[in-house]
Amino acid sequence: MRRFTQRLLFVASVLLGVAGVVGCRSSEQSQRSEHSVTIYVSTDRVFSEPVLREYETQTGVRVNAVYDTEETKSTGLANRLIAEKARPQADVFWSNEPVRTLVLKSRQVLAPYRSPSAEGIPAALVDPEGYWTGFSARIRVIAYNTKLVKGDDAPRSVFDLADSTWRGQVAIADPRFGSTSFHVAALYATAGDVKMDDFFRRLKANGVRIVDGNSVVRDLVARGEVKVGLTDTDDVNVAIEDGQSIAMVLPDREGLGVPVMPNMVSLIANGPHPEEGRRLIDYLLSSNVERQLAQSEAVQIPLHAGVQGPKNIPAIETFRPMTLDYTKAASRVEDVTGRLAAILGL
Amino acid sequence: MQRPSSRTVVISIALVLFVACCLLPIAYLLIIPLGSGTIAYGDLRLDARQQGLLRNTTLLGAGTALLATGIGAPLGLALARVPFTRKTLLRVALAAPVLLPPYIMALSWTYLGGTRGFVATLVGSDVIAEWTYSLPAAIAVLSLVFYPLSMLAAEVAIRRIDGRLEEAASLVAPPHLALRRITLPLAAPGVLAGALVIFVLAVSEFSVPGLLRVRVYTTEVFTAFAALYDFGRAVLLAIPLLVLCLVIATIAVTIVGERHVSTNRGLDTGAAVLADWRRPAGAAALATLALALALPLLVLVREALGAESLRGIVEGSGRAIANSLLFACIGATAVVGVAVWLGYARARARARVGQLADVLFVFAFAVPSTIVGVGLIGLWNRPGLLGAVYGSDAMFVLAYLARFVPVAALAIAAVTRYVPVSHEEAAAVSGAGWLRTMTHIVLPQVRLGILIAWVIAFVLAFGELGVSILVAPPGEATLPIRIYTLIANAPPSHVAILALLQTAVVLTPLGILASLISRRPSPRAQGLPNEADGRVAR
Repeated sequence: MRRFTQRLLFVASVLLGVAGVVGCRSSEQSQRSEHSVTIYVSTDRVFSEPVLREYETQTGVRVNAVYDTEETKSTGLANRLIAEKARPQADVFWSNEPVRTLVLKSRQVLAPYRSPSAEGIPAALVDPEGYWTGFSARIRVIAYNTKLVKGDDAPRSVFDLADSTWRGQVAIADPRFGSTSFHVAALYATAGDVKMDDFFRRLKANGVRIVDGNSVVRDLVARGEVKVGLTDTDDVNVAIEDGQSIAMVLPDREGLGVPVMPNMVSLIANGPHPEEGRRLIDYLLSSNVERQLAQSEAVQIPLHAGVQGPKNIPAIETFRPMTLDYTKAASRVEDVTGRLAAILGL
Repeated sequence: MQRPSSRTVVISIALVLFVACCLLPIAYLLIIPLGSGTIAYGDLRLDARQQGLLRNTTLLGAGTALLATGIGAPLGLALARVPFTRKTLLRVALAAPVLLPPYIMALSWTYLGGTRGFVATLVGSDVIAEWTYSLPAAIAVLSLVFYPLSMLAAEVAIRRIDGRLEEAASLVAPPHLALRRITLPLAAPGVLAGALVIFVLAVSEFSVPGLLRVRVYTTEVFTAFAALYDFGRAVLLAIPLLVLCLVIATIAVTIVGERHVSTNRGLDTGAAVLADWRRPAGAAALATLALALALPLLVLVREALGAESLRGIVEGSGRAIANSLLFACIGATAVVGVAVWLGYARARARARVGQLADVLFVFAFAVPSTIVGVGLIGLWNRPGLLGAVYGSDAMFVLAYLARFVPVAALAIAAVTRYVPVSHEEAAAVSGAGWLRTMTHIVLPQVRLGILIAWVIAFVLAFGELGVSILVAPPGEATLPIRIYTLIANAPPSHVAILALLQTAVVLTPLGILASLISRRPSPRAQGLPNEADGRVAR
């Protein structure tokens, strides 16, 4: 009996200790929440975290950030926002491509907010209803290996990738996810279903490699496993800065136009700290943040006029962006996903 | 009215916790599409493409379970019966591959075997790239990650076998026949439990097949969530996957059946030591270590050396490391705390009930982690006390309970079946209550199995991502969350460093634990009565 009592007391002590640790951590969390704002971030953590830490330093407001993985590693924060809709935990959503934001708008997860910091951003990149505002854009590019492909010989259009010249030497990320899903939806919305279905059939026949992310495309091109690939500016720039044998071409400057993907920031409907959320949005849309993102390895293109753009990337005024209705493009995602699954054998 | 017995009370509590933690989140997500009336039952019909994907998934799961068992079970036999020196160190090293994230292991293999990989560079031409990106490669990679689960399950099962049976058999038959006719059949339930867990883990994978360009059905479920944001459709698409796991589990439990695995002897009754096998077993262990651990680690280290600065990458990971260790410890303890009673109940259940329990455990474990995560959000993200829990670190522990109680229960049930019922009957006749019998008779005999279940739960909890990323309180993260959110757009050298960091972090406490256990003198060394007579060593 005595030994049983001793063991019972030991177990109870351990449980109390654990409860104490967890309780202290919960108390610390609730104290922090008094001057805090919660943001869910789909933009790559390596780029977004310094921006948010800077906001903390400047304002003294604690930023509780929830970051996302690559789109093929987990199902992402957009699903979390949808699941939490009845009782939101987040105040702000920062997305690195339009599709997620527009899905959330259609599910009534977002609230309208017109930030004064949005002044100067082109009207095409601001939601007329105020549910999202674009800033710091990326571009979809064709990356090529500089040891295997001369600059003059690199493909100039997305449609060139279906040429026999590049048979078995093209990589793209899975078009069902992330920025590639936005790109293909934009192409379908702009060029039409017949042309795009034919293109992807020819691409498939040309032996395209479909891999699980833009960074994998970049790595395959940089290592020379393929000669060219479709990816994003920030992915390629990381490799360029790392000294790898890779460069990029802005596609369709003469044709459809270059696909531009802005970051988008939105206020969450019924979030716990709406005022702090609005202030954070004002900060993210400021010229300072665009300058910071332009000068980082993210090489994101400022949308405010007069903000110095990133090195290695042409300024937005120097090329013709794809004329695009983002809402229309986002609405094509489900249909295009089904078409490509069949055409590409996904 | 007669008071319920302590056995009824304890097992009922465990059942209630299992239903609340493991089944309710799944049920909640089924209710949404049913309640909204938006179910398109046509989604349950698989087209030809989806049938092909399901075939691939089945092959991936079955191939991985078979190959991992083929590697792990003999190693488990060797650890149980061969007198290695430094056995604890060997066991920890052989178990280490399961600590590495499967995606990172697959990545290291592509660095090794890709078109411009290490092998191609060494040989001067691309000889194995085509094999590197294939279904057999995915099976091989996953097998090299998951074989430790089979190894640990097999070792525990074999160590529970009365060595006198093998000795008696060896008097009349050669060793290999004794192995085939006595040892392996008695170890089958434990080995099978390990194989089932591996099957479910393999069919749940989509990032490794994705990287190796193998099209699998699990991606369909993932697409419904990640590309289409359609929970109802994702749940419906998960049903064929769950049916597949249920079919495999039913076939497996039918084959093994309710074999009588215990004798009237107690534990640790002098195993038949296979001293003659030391050299070949040692060579096999070293070869496995070289292929499954040394080679991937070397590749990762080679990539990591390309980083300019270690500090920037590791800095800021302190809290995530502490979170992972703390919550994995608490989670594994909570998981085993519930699973030990469920496992006991399953081991003592009648044949049909027991088989049904096995199938239910496999079902609960096979549910995709995203479904569990979204279900947890729906259940806990509510006003009041539930909401207070939702915003706290307790959600990590709830996530681990939801995911891993079934697998721990399977593992503990397998080892509890080796404990003779006659021991409990003898204790009851002597006047001991059920709780006293459990704490003094049954649990001491299965303590190794409980420890292994704790280790498996700890490893799985530590590496858990799918549910954690959905329920982590804002501002908090575990190490896998931090790593996977950082590797998006990080150079390969940074990815390698973070993977090595995770391995070191989880290997260190396990190594210390194993070292502490191995230093405890055995009862015989202490001159205490051994357990062969059924008395428990004090």
